Amino acid sequence: MKSNHPMSRALARRETIAGYAFLLPSLIFFLGFVIYPMALCIVTSFFDSTMKRADIFVGLGNYRELFQDRNFLYALKNTAVIVAVSVPFVCIFSLWVSSVIYNMREPFCSIFRCIFYLPVVTGSVAVTVVWKWMFNNYYGIFNYAGKRLGLLEKNINWLGDERFALGCIILILLTTSVGQPIVLYISALNNVDQSLVEAAEVDGATKFQCFWKIKWSQIMPTTLYILVITTINSFQCFALIQLLTSGGPNHSTDTIMYYIYHNAFKLYRYGYGNAMGVVLAVIIAVLSAVQFKMARSD
Amino acid sequence: MKRRKLLALTLAGCLVFPAAVSAEAEAVDITLWTYPVGNWVDAATVEGLIAGFHEAHPDIHVTVEYLDYTNGDDQVNTAIEGGQAPDIIFEGPERLVTNWGAKGLMADLSDLWTDEAKEAIYDSVEAACQNSDGVFYEYPLCMTAHTMAVNRDLFEAADALQYLDEETRTWTTENFVKAVQAVYDSGHETVGAVYCSGQGGDQGTRALVNNLYGGAFTNAEHTEYTLNSEENIRALELLAGMDGISFDASIAGGDEINLFCNGTLAMAFCWNVGQDAANAENTEFDILPMAFPSENGDPALCGGIWGFGVFDNGDETKIAAAKTFIDFMANDEAQAPESVKASTYWPVKDLGTNIYEDNDLMTEYSVFVPRMGDYYQVVPGWAEARTAWWNMLQQIGSGTDVKTAVEEFTATANAAAVQ
Amino acid sequence: MKTLNRSLCYKIFSTAIVVLLALAFAFPLYWIITGSFKTGRAINAAAPQWWPQEWVLDNYRTLFSRQKAPLWELHIPFTNLAVTGPSLPAALRWLTNTVFMAVTSMLLTCVTAAMAGYALAKKRFAGRTLLFSLIVCAMALPKQVILIPLLREMSALNLYNTIWAVILPIVGWPFGVFLIKQFAEGIPGEMMEAARIDGAGEWKTFLSVALPMIKPGIGALAIFTFISSWNDYFMQLIMLTSTGNLTISLGIAKLQSENSTDFGLIMAGASLAAIPIITVFLIFQKYFTKGITMGAVKG
Repeated sequence: MKSNHPMSRALARRETIAGYAFLLPSLIFFLGFVIYPMALCIVTSFFDSTMKRADIFVGLGNYRELFQDRNFLYALKNTAVIVAVSVPFVCIFSLWVSSVIYNMREPFCSIFRCIFYLPVVTGSVAVTVVWKWMFNNYYGIFNYAGKRLGLLEKNINWLGDERFALGCIILILLTTSVGQPIVLYISALNNVDQSLVEAAEVDGATKFQCFWKIKWSQIMPTTLYILVITTINSFQCFALIQLLTSGGPNHSTDTIMYYIYHNAFKLYRYGYGNAMGVVLAVIIAVLSAVQFKMARSD
Repeated sequence: MKRRKLLALTLAGCLVFPAAVSAEAEAVDITLWTYPVGNWVDAATVEGLIAGFHEAHPDIHVTVEYLDYTNGDDQVNTAIEGGQAPDIIFEGPERLVTNWGAKGLMADLSDLWTDEAKEAIYDSVEAACQNSDGVFYEYPLCMTAHTMAVNRDLFEAADALQYLDEETRTWTTENFVKAVQAVYDSGHETVGAVYCSGQGGDQGTRALVNNLYGGAFTNAEHTEYTLNSEENIRALELLAGMDGISFDASIAGGDEINLFCNGTLAMAFCWNVGQDAANAENTEFDILPMAFPSENGDPALCGGIWGFGVFDNGDETKIAAAKTFIDFMANDEAQAPESVKASTYWPVKDLGTNIYEDNDLMTEYSVFVPRMGDYYQVVPGWAEARTAWWNMLQQIGSGTDVKTAVEEFTATANAAAVQ
Repeated sequence: MKTLNRSLCYKIFSTAIVVLLALAFAFPLYWIITGSFKTGRAINAAAPQWWPQEWVLDNYRTLFSRQKAPLWELHIPFTNLAVTGPSLPAALRWLTNTVFMAVTSMLLTCVTAAMAGYALAKKRFAGRTLLFSLIVCAMALPKQVILIPLLREMSALNLYNTIWAVILPIVGWPFGVFLIKQFAEGIPGEMMEAARIDGAGEWKTFLSVALPMIKPGIGALAIFTFISSWNDYFMQLIMLTSTGNLTISLGIAKLQSENSTDFGLIMAGASLAAIPIITVFLIFQKYFTKGITMGAVKG
């Protein structure tokens, strides 16, 4: 026992050295470009910080102002709407599409999967600019088609009208968000244990029952993963807003991400912007934790 | 193994430190960022101007970046925060003096403003290029009067030409309303757009609102915003209620110009001689530049004054080089006329010759120059005020009561002005 | 019989809907590509041309006649020398920058994450649990919230307005470490023990035992990093300013704000941005799908 001790200590030391040596390259980047700025972000959020001037400590001043800032609350609300609409929609839509195409003959399944994944690879900026054209008030294809089909009486200024702008943004966001979930669901549905399904069918279960009772629980981990990534992605919606509406009209498409950018680079309020970042981070952390909890309890 | 490691290290260094290295160059490298002022956005034109400078000053090397009015400000602001603000920037007092100058980011250009220069440059321009303490943050090159324009063919077809004076290029508010209605009734439903997606070209919408009933945007001392005057509110209410005029939150000034030039809109509010010079060739109708309508037919036009400012990046050599560049561009006898011509606007001082002698277009637009009004874009809090301006127009376009929206704007802008 | 009919009906109906949806999803791309070949008149017409009546290259000509920039620029350290490529339209330089950025991020991420993930899964050392929880926490946060401090940091490191300002934070993002760790958990301890008994050092063990086992994970990570860095926009918008340093996404965005209604020109830019990556995607489609699913299953 006694002689064993130094040896295991040597081994432990060796393990520690090796462990950190392997971690080192990654740690440099992680600590340097994620943790350090994150810490800086939290610290600066307690300061009134702007260009060319020493920061002034304001304590919780930025946070207090934040919850009295009507535009921030708008942004919070819009972000919540985007998340609340897009997350369930993405899940249901991609699950339904996958359920239709997952057992198709090749190459059809691949072709469909490919097409639904296209907006993801096309890139957010390229996708955004073409939608901007399609939504154009004067010669966009939506107004033209709408009028031809008799759905619209006159041109609608899609992105310039408070009532429609956020809806348009969400629609575009959806087309770029379902690609990955569809790929995932197809693979998950293909991996469902067929013997269980067959057994249930023998027992006289309807297709619907089969789905709920057996398949649903088997694809649950996939659903959870999709929930989490879609939530995070929807929170981060920025390019769409910056390129299409700049938060307008009348703040109807302001999101937290855009409002941070607006405060930092239009109004030079870095401390205030950082405080918003911290609040956003807290919201996302809480949401993710809740989603995980919910999944665990299932 | 060792040699390979060394190689890898060198390679890594090679990739990681490019920025640090280029700073060691011997000749002075300076950067010039220009906003799209006339042809100062066209790479071939600007490269030509700079080639002239390089010939005269081979020890200074200038690199150019082109900005646009939609995202240019963000880009400059990010660069400032990133520690790589340009050395020279080409724009007007509302940015150079009121915004970056007031933030203490710009270098004092007083030594360029010699007595001789002060003598030569028009007084109104001189006044605009300095802050309230008399520190100069801009050295001006060119100026123009912002106007509006109408699609003459469309107006003719709608029999609306009777409402405007083609000789003096003016019209009364009453006639403006009749003209818009006539064009609208003739079947052209999109007559004009009060564009408000962002700040690009916002001087046009302001000039329109201020002139309709003779309101003012600020007080005479340029210390306070006075948009909530009765005249301005009446003007906004008039615009909000007119058939054919939409408050369009999906476009900014640049888009409006394009929509006008391709015939979609019958009028442009974001116009000046530079737009005409750039677009006349590609338009299929007669462009008729007009002053903004006013009650008595005597409008006060918004001026544009463009010139150079120098960012104080803490390097005296670069500041000196930047000043040399500005001096050459704006004062060199052979170069200055070319620099001004590239802007397609007028010089800010008498260059000795009429550089636009045989230019019909410039002659046509020169009727507007005497109508230039007060240059008010030097009020403190300008950056906040212009953001609030287009937000206010969006509110009105979304149906908010004009008075409420205007009061909110005035409160926001004045709060920023006293800070 | 009746149920059969009903399920057949559903099948036909649902397939029809999916076909329609697929058409709708493919349409923007179709519109980008055809739009880039349309004349200005066709673009601005109130009645759009579903298929261009007249195919022109004007938009590409305009795109390529704009600013020029050297195709690449490589600085030699500790000298003022730089190796620059031929001066070509700036849009091509943006492509070079984007490819360089995406490939470098991908390689660096894979190498660092493979080593770190392996260490976290297989090495027992003090601070391991703490580090891992830090990684999990950081992963859930949107990286954009740290942009302002990151901008200051890059400026202090003299890296602002270089492609490295975009690459380094991508590499630092801990998702890769987390992913590889999940894969590395599956390496049997006996195999490592056997290697050690054979006299293999730590590095050798990693290369010969661990690496082959986590290869699928690395593949998934490579694809994930490549797409997400290619499509990232926010970080690039903040970090890069000069024409020669832009990525293709930024370039198109700039094109868009400068010529906001010249949709033909913008579509030409968008095609230039989209077609290379779509081609890559179509060629490696199988790996993409595999990579995405694998990343999800383990992540």
